[in-house]
Amino acid sequence: MNEHIREEIFKGVNLHTIIVDKFKTNLIKFNFQRPLIQGESTLNGLLPMVLHRGTENLQTSKMLSKELEYLYGAYLNSNVVKKGERHIVDFTLGVADLNFVEDRNLLNESLKLMNDVINKPYKENGLFKKEYLQQEKSNLEKRIKARVNDKNRYAVERCIEEMCSEENFALYEQGRLEDLPNINENNLFNYYKQFINNSPVDIMVVGNLNHADIKKVILDQFEFNSGEKIKIPREKIDFIPKQIKKVRESMDISQGKLTMGFRNNIPYEDPSYPALMVYVNLLGGGAHSKLFLKVREERSLCYYIYSKMDKFKSIMLVSCGIEVDKYDETVEVIMQQLEEIKKGNISNEEMENTKKAMINSVNEMGDNASAMADFYYGQVITKQYYSPSQLIDQIQNVKKEEIVAVAEKMMLDTIYFLNNQQM
Amino acid sequence: MTYDEIQGKLVKETIYRKKLTNGLEVFFLYKKGYAKQFASFSTKFGSNDLKFSKNDGEMKEVPEGIAHFLEHKLFEEPNGNAFDRFAALGANVNAFTNFNITSYYFTSTDHFYENLKHLITFVKTPYFTDENVEKEKGIIAQEIKMYQDNPQWKVFFNLLKGMYEKHPVKNDIAGTVESITRTTKEDLYSCYETFYHPSNMVMFIAGDLDKNKVFQVVEENFSVGEENNVVKIVRSETVEPNGIANPLVEEKLLVSTPIFNLGYKDIHVGIKGIELIKKEISIRLLLDIIFGKSSVLFEKLYDEGLVDHSFNADYIGEVDYGHSIISGESTDPHMVKKYINDYIEELKTTGLDKENFDRIQRKQIGENLSYFNSIEYTGNSFVSYYFKDINYLEYIELLKEVTFEDVNQHLLQHFDINRQVLSIIKP
Repeated sequence: MNEHIREEIFKGVNLHTIIVDKFKTNLIKFNFQRPLIQGESTLNGLLPMVLHRGTENLQTSKMLSKELEYLYGAYLNSNVVKKGERHIVDFTLGVADLNFVEDRNLLNESLKLMNDVINKPYKENGLFKKEYLQQEKSNLEKRIKARVNDKNRYAVERCIEEMCSEENFALYEQGRLEDLPNINENNLFNYYKQFINNSPVDIMVVGNLNHADIKKVILDQFEFNSGEKIKIPREKIDFIPKQIKKVRESMDISQGKLTMGFRNNIPYEDPSYPALMVYVNLLGGGAHSKLFLKVREERSLCYYIYSKMDKFKSIMLVSCGIEVDKYDETVEVIMQQLEEIKKGNISNEEMENTKKAMINSVNEMGDNASAMADFYYGQVITKQYYSPSQLIDQIQNVKKEEIVAVAEKMMLDTIYFLNNQQM
Repeated sequence: MTYDEIQGKLVKETIYRKKLTNGLEVFFLYKKGYAKQFASFSTKFGSNDLKFSKNDGEMKEVPEGIAHFLEHKLFEEPNGNAFDRFAALGANVNAFTNFNITSYYFTSTDHFYENLKHLITFVKTPYFTDENVEKEKGIIAQEIKMYQDNPQWKVFFNLLKGMYEKHPVKNDIAGTVESITRTTKEDLYSCYETFYHPSNMVMFIAGDLDKNKVFQVVEENFSVGEENNVVKIVRSETVEPNGIANPLVEEKLLVSTPIFNLGYKDIHVGIKGIELIKKEISIRLLLDIIFGKSSVLFEKLYDEGLVDHSFNADYIGEVDYGHSIISGESTDPHMVKKYINDYIEELKTTGLDKENFDRIQRKQIGENLSYFNSIEYTGNSFVSYYFKDINYLEYIELLKEVTFEDVNQHLLQHFDINRQVLSIIKP
């Protein structure tokens, strides 16, 4: 499909180029990898917010924004996400391709700016500027509290928190409110030095740029640190729920939000992992799935319902929005669908439709630069390297009995229900 | 085969167009190297169309949310539903309804022409029964309730309710639980027969496909004779006063920090084509200059902790209405409004800075360029602009043509505090 080249261009820094000439813009994404742990999660949430406030050359956000605007609206932003029990902080640059704008220096200039943001933060007395840090602490506090605003997502995150209360996976990716008061310009700056020195870095480049050229530009424009990179352990996935945890939370809302968390403990290294992917899709991966057809189309219980997997932690979540008084009925119908798969009640048509839908998504991925960057970065973490067509083969080869075998391993761990009834 | 070519020189794209004898406009965007194929079949019928006549008959009024209800029900077929047919071909099919348009579309990476036939067939074949209409009400009610819990959605519709006294844009797209409850099979058929004639519709196709075959397959799937019963649609025109309904709309919902939308009603409406798009572009530049991340105003609000990065401004320009919306989260939306009003009053006397204009123009060129990476986005934008007599492929060229003077003129016109509405969702 697309050419993908991987090369270690500096100690602990890998460059991945995916060469495609069909986009109007080029994407360059630096992923810094950290462990997802209590001592770091809030620092990771806060650090990029402070870094985007100013550089040695452009000392305010306003000046930074002006420069980006001038560079034909290049965007430079950061996200903090968890992939299993790894915490990934990214710096993403999107910049117009030179075929469409008249500015030969665009790529060099924007990469230089990106380097400044990562490596040359604005400092006062050798530390982050106090005022910037205070403002961003307050913004982060608001952002963490704003979790309740999106009820659908909130219900999913709360289910994970309850389900994994004894595991680091429970940590919220933006951080914890209780850590904020103790963060100051001193300890955050110390952490920053470690962060740029010892985090494994993967640079994903998707666009109309050849590997040798972009490698040269990056090595010219970027400063890399030669510190020993940390080793981040594989997350444990051997938790057996002793009993089903039922959590109810009440808020003033009109629709109840139900999320059910399941364990299966099948690691991505396992040969039956592709069958697990097909299982999850067959259950609730779209309009062809059992949950959609049964819970929505046949029983009119919901508008949205889906199942999804965390690949790294091997946890499956089923989520939907329902009438509060339909809780029992919905849980029952959902569990019946899992039972159906376990019994092997999967028609050839369902099997085929599921695989086709999955293959279609894999093929479509090549038309989306950030989806491709994520696909290859996921492989960096799992250390399993395959092309989209190899993935398609894996999906294609899954047999019904393998799905049934996966179904046997599904264990309901937690049922979380956000509702509007007073306890 | 003959067709017109619509050029977008800067974005280096060409769209081929053909009008079929039944009145359907068909567009094809050739996207070399894309695995994804996209086709949409859209009608100029949205939630705003609540009162209309067909072929000079009587004016008919239908329940709110009917366009959206119809969108849901069109997937129903005598033997099952349309999802199944696409699923069997590995394609994703979906639809959306907005204020002015209902659009059915699929994306595929294989079996494109079979999918295309299914799309045309299911949109052309309504199958509504009392029973299946009744069943859908439960699903739509859950969709409405999902939006009722969504503070961003609520703050926006509350703003429209404050801004418009009569125009149907103030209604929720999906209607209310009450309005969908009284929607009948007959209402649905009546809307279908009025708005789903090919002459009121557009088909947009994109992908790495053969253009001759694309047009040929589309033509084969429409029967001869349809041209004879072209429908004449008259929409009841609401006379919307220049004033607003309510300058302040507040509601309580469970949110962590108040969420606000501050809107300005645009009264320079009733225009189409180039004039409309130039107004839209000018106001968007203006908003970006005043409220963007590099603006003095944003810096001040941010430094004082009154807004964060969710702060945003945009303009919506339709033929018969228009408004700009400044949105964000703030502990004190009233204070934000005061800062904005003070700043704009001052700016009206000093005028804008040319350097800011030049830079923001460059920014928007790059930004709009990036939108063309997505074929769905390109397709949906093209169709919605086409219904307003605008060629979306020229957007960036027109953006380059807009002058500093154009934008300055809108500065004086657009921000009228008598047409300003503040909507707040508070905890």
